[in-house]
Amino acid sequence: MANNTNPGSMKRKRAIGNAITYVLLIIISIIWLFPYFGLLMASFRSFDPAIEYGGVVDYIIPHTFSLDNYKFLFNGENNYPKWYLNTLIISFAASFINTCIVLCVSYALSRMRFTGRTFLMRFWLVLGMFPGFLTMICLYFLLKQLGLTQAGAVPGLILVYIASSGMGYYVCKGYFDTIPKALDEAARIDGASRARVFFQMIIPMAKPIIIYTALVAFMGPWCDYVFASYIAFGHDASYNVAVAMQRWMVVGDYQGYFTRFCAGGIVVAVPITLLFMFLQKYYVEGVTGGAVKG
Amino acid sequence: MKKKLVSVLLTAAMGASLLVGCGSDAAETVTDTAETVSETAADAASAVQEVAETVAEEAANVDPAAYDGKEVKVWVAENVVDFTNEQIENFKTAYPQYAGVNFTVEPVGEGDAAGNMITDVTAGADVFGFAQDQLTRLVTAGALEEVNPDFLADVEAANSAGVVEAGKVGGTLYAYPMTADNGYFLYYDKSVVTDPSTLEGILEQCEAAGKNFYIDMTGWYQVAFFFGTGCELTYDTDPDGNFTKCNVDYASDKGLVALKEMIEVASSSAYQAGSSAGDAVNYAAIIDGTWDAGTVKEVLGDNYACAKLPTFTGSDGQTYQMSGFNGCKLLGVKPQEDEDKLQICDDLAYYLTSEEVQLARFKAVEWGPSNLNAQASSEVKANEALSALAEQFAYTIPQGNYPGDYWSRAESLAGDVKDAFQKASDDDLKAALEAYQADLESYAK
Amino acid sequence: MAKTNKGQKRKNALAQFFSVLGNDLKEIGLTFKEGDFKTRISFMIFGFGSLLRGLWLRGLTLLAVEAGLLYFIFSFGWTYLSKLGTLGTIATTKQGRKTVYGDNSFLILLFGLLALFAVVAFIAVWRINVRVSRTEQIILRDGRKLPTNGDDFKSLFDSNFDKTLLALPVTGVFVFTVLPIVFMICVAFTNYDANHQPPSNLFTWVGVENFHDLFSFGTAGFGGTFVTVLTWTLVWAFFATFIDYFLGIAVAMLINKKGIKFKKLWRTILVVTIAVPQFVSLLYVSKLFANDGLINGYLLKWGLIDQAIQFWVNPTLAKITIIVVNIWIGIPYMMLIATGLLMNIPEDLYESARIDGATSWQMFLHITLPYMLFVTGPFLLTQYTGNLNNFNVIFLLTQGQPKTGNLVGGAGRTDLLITWLYKMTINDTNYRMAAVIGIMVFIVTAGISLVVYNLLPSVKDEEGFQ
Repeated sequence: MANNTNPGSMKRKRAIGNAITYVLLIIISIIWLFPYFGLLMASFRSFDPAIEYGGVVDYIIPHTFSLDNYKFLFNGENNYPKWYLNTLIISFAASFINTCIVLCVSYALSRMRFTGRTFLMRFWLVLGMFPGFLTMICLYFLLKQLGLTQAGAVPGLILVYIASSGMGYYVCKGYFDTIPKALDEAARIDGASRARVFFQMIIPMAKPIIIYTALVAFMGPWCDYVFASYIAFGHDASYNVAVAMQRWMVVGDYQGYFTRFCAGGIVVAVPITLLFMFLQKYYVEGVTGGAVKG
Repeated sequence: MKKKLVSVLLTAAMGASLLVGCGSDAAETVTDTAETVSETAADAASAVQEVAETVAEEAANVDPAAYDGKEVKVWVAENVVDFTNEQIENFKTAYPQYAGVNFTVEPVGEGDAAGNMITDVTAGADVFGFAQDQLTRLVTAGALEEVNPDFLADVEAANSAGVVEAGKVGGTLYAYPMTADNGYFLYYDKSVVTDPSTLEGILEQCEAAGKNFYIDMTGWYQVAFFFGTGCELTYDTDPDGNFTKCNVDYASDKGLVALKEMIEVASSSAYQAGSSAGDAVNYAAIIDGTWDAGTVKEVLGDNYACAKLPTFTGSDGQTYQMSGFNGCKLLGVKPQEDEDKLQICDDLAYYLTSEEVQLARFKAVEWGPSNLNAQASSEVKANEALSALAEQFAYTIPQGNYPGDYWSRAESLAGDVKDAFQKASDDDLKAALEAYQADLESYAK
Repeated sequence: MAKTNKGQKRKNALAQFFSVLGNDLKEIGLTFKEGDFKTRISFMIFGFGSLLRGLWLRGLTLLAVEAGLLYFIFSFGWTYLSKLGTLGTIATTKQGRKTVYGDNSFLILLFGLLALFAVVAFIAVWRINVRVSRTEQIILRDGRKLPTNGDDFKSLFDSNFDKTLLALPVTGVFVFTVLPIVFMICVAFTNYDANHQPPSNLFTWVGVENFHDLFSFGTAGFGGTFVTVLTWTLVWAFFATFIDYFLGIAVAMLINKKGIKFKKLWRTILVVTIAVPQFVSLLYVSKLFANDGLINGYLLKWGLIDQAIQFWVNPTLAKITIIVVNIWIGIPYMMLIATGLLMNIPEDLYESARIDGATSWQMFLHITLPYMLFVTGPFLLTQYTGNLNNFNVIFLLTQGQPKTGNLVGGAGRTDLLITWLYKMTINDTNYRMAAVIGIMVFIVTAGISLVVYNLLPSVKDEEGFQ
């Protein structure tokens, strides 16, 4: 204590600083994780009146832990597995096609110069400023004309999610712009066609951005409620998880479904959280790139 | 169509079988009930027979093959999907000409049904259940067909008068009454609230026990205060579902008393806004409907009790009984471009709202019947929540037609009650009531 | 100076457009005048010239497109297109108990526009066809060699690869974004609402009446409500963007601090918020802050308060709570972005500052912050416009509550324009006003973007920090 030499005080200062930082980080972590902790706990509270209660309560830790809610989801009493499957199909398909489209558009806009290129980019930018919800009813009737609502809502939703995906080229094009053009030109001098350059050079180099695009395109449909409910209404078997579960919370017919909702939510959240943890690096790369490019 | 007659006889017989089944103590009361049931049943029987004959005639004229392969979509609340499927099987037996019709039942709750029907009538259900407040909206959007004239007399005779009135827009009956339990009353915890007769008492005991008292003040519930002090709010409609006139006197002393009472209730620390038992926590009293009876019972256990709504002492020192709406759930048929299909839908809707199906529905999910005979049955009478509701109904008015804007505007008032009005002076409140009344009047043209 | 320049530019652009159009018409005329019979017949039968000149690939393609578009326009589109002016006149009637639907204004408008698009496409393809034919003719006249069918095909993967790549995406955008947007803009000029709901009722054109409604400031007019909601939308977006931005940077700096361990763990904890669907997490958070929610419940239980805190009931508190909850959502994104960017700041800048005796606060203020602001300027702008339209947070937390009698059209105190218009379409099926508000949202978003974008330092001075 008395030993107040310079390097010592520096060290102590840093130690105190670090301690404060740790405390802050721990507090932040608690705040950030608390809702998930609450959700998880609620999902273990049984809705069976003989054990506990499925509605909203004023305590966090359930009196008895049970898996009733999870059993309820998968015991065939309702369509949860079907909804989950719908969500998976929609998200995977949308993510895959969306990524392909974005790559195509980005390559064309980044590497090729054609008439109307700048016009197209500006036009899409302006289009993006219109609120999408307005067009819902219009999309609904367009899809209905094709038989892709209600019973056909799963392919219909895929179509909605991918139809305008070309407009989301921004981050990906930014990434392509950073790949030196000299590489393409060298290949073209060697006689490679544009298509060959695209498929054999650019795409293999674009792995991080492909993963980022696919991840973002996957998350949209995975959590979508608004469009999905609008297009699939009145046909239980083509709901996605969000639409089906939202009913448990907002429709008066379902009382005491809160814990079941929490359990369903956890089941929805787990895969995407895992996906995120593994692909975090690519996500950061994409988001950062996007932010800097603006 | 014989099935109809058989079922009426069955109801009478059921009374008799109860006689045999019960002990001698209960025998007397049961006899009474049985007698009433069979009397009313006999009255209704003749009416039913008439209908049965007309329908049978028509049915004879149509080639049953005309119905084969038709698709009929039915929307009902999730908890009655299985029940409805069973009843449709019975329906097919009762109406053999419809054996080849494909019925599909989808779980679409009463709340969503109207919105979805309006979004796209053509993709909506052919037969669907909905709550009464959506009636005019559905009629305006052309999503409801009038009740088949062949059934009209019978439907009007068999169901309670208020409920039939509730299904009408501009004098035309647009839907088949299914339940008569769309109203609210008080659930309370016996161990906390010892005297549920006054609002002040309930609040006091809840406050003292640190428990919540749930009471909603949105459009459907706030009338408990306004009608309680004697205010009026009704709308006149023409046959197309347009609102022609608004009869309202909220901007009055009576209205002020009601509003001030609402503000006072909202200032209590026990007060919570809400009327959904599944979302309510730590409550000793909640104003809610029969549909939540199971949930409340689960929470309150042995202390579960029901009562009519309490009285309150207004700012003018007088005592008022809380009022409210009494309404119903209805089964509607969508306008059809194909007469044969319309016939199927009409028959199905009529069947699903008939006495025996209403009674069976009550047994399955405790929905209070609108059919007079079914209401008179001993099981229905023994139901605690339904009797509290029946008691409350003596103080309520039948829910007529209200424009969609009303519900939205009333919700705004509820928002102000909890917040802006808490510190407002009487003059402010009067001005607010005048503005409110002006808005309500503006919805009728 | 800048303004006049821009005005001139616009005028030039307009003049340029007309001169291009004029030249184009001239060229078409010339093509016909100088054309041989192959070229001339191509004016009617697409690809005729190419087919006769042996280029069957492009010839057949053009012909197929012509046939397809004509078939679409006449077999499907015409019935709708012809009624576009009135949006239908035949009302729905009853025959006995049977319903006979009349014109469906909605479908007339929608498919009428689609048919109109098809007509435009037809003209465009026709123009291409004429040009192709002329080019072929000129090549032959000059005695050069025409490309073979094989060359045509190969070019799709080389010189014309952009067309191959963009054909599908552009069509998708046209049908599923441009068409619906044009449709909704049209709806703003009709009386399509709850009382004019197809198929049972017709709706029709009403001119700018709905815009009058929006800007009428009487008791029942939308004007006052629109201004209130717009103001809150702008305020919300400002706070949501900048608070998250600075706190995000702060958290990133905490985690990046030298000597702090488990950096990956801290980051992952925060990132969970991005991964868990908001319809689950926000719903839970919304219940958490309710009057009867866990937070109030525990505070009451512990005796810290004796009246529930009116998180969602008091309008001011509700707005603050929303912004606070949005921090919870927004920080992780910003933290991720900032982490990457902070590492890019040249370390020697800090070194020299440290030698000059700068404190860490001074270093933050004079090095980190300017750098971040410069680099992320455009990003902040997109964040801001994104927040203007941040539907999820408001809708899942409050649905616009608390409501008040002072606002019309079902709007609540925390409604953004976007949630307000959503409620209008879903609850009240008031499509005409929703469309008008949609147009306003567009104007606000586009206006802000345009103005701010041109003020950004990184746009003005691209080389700034290098």
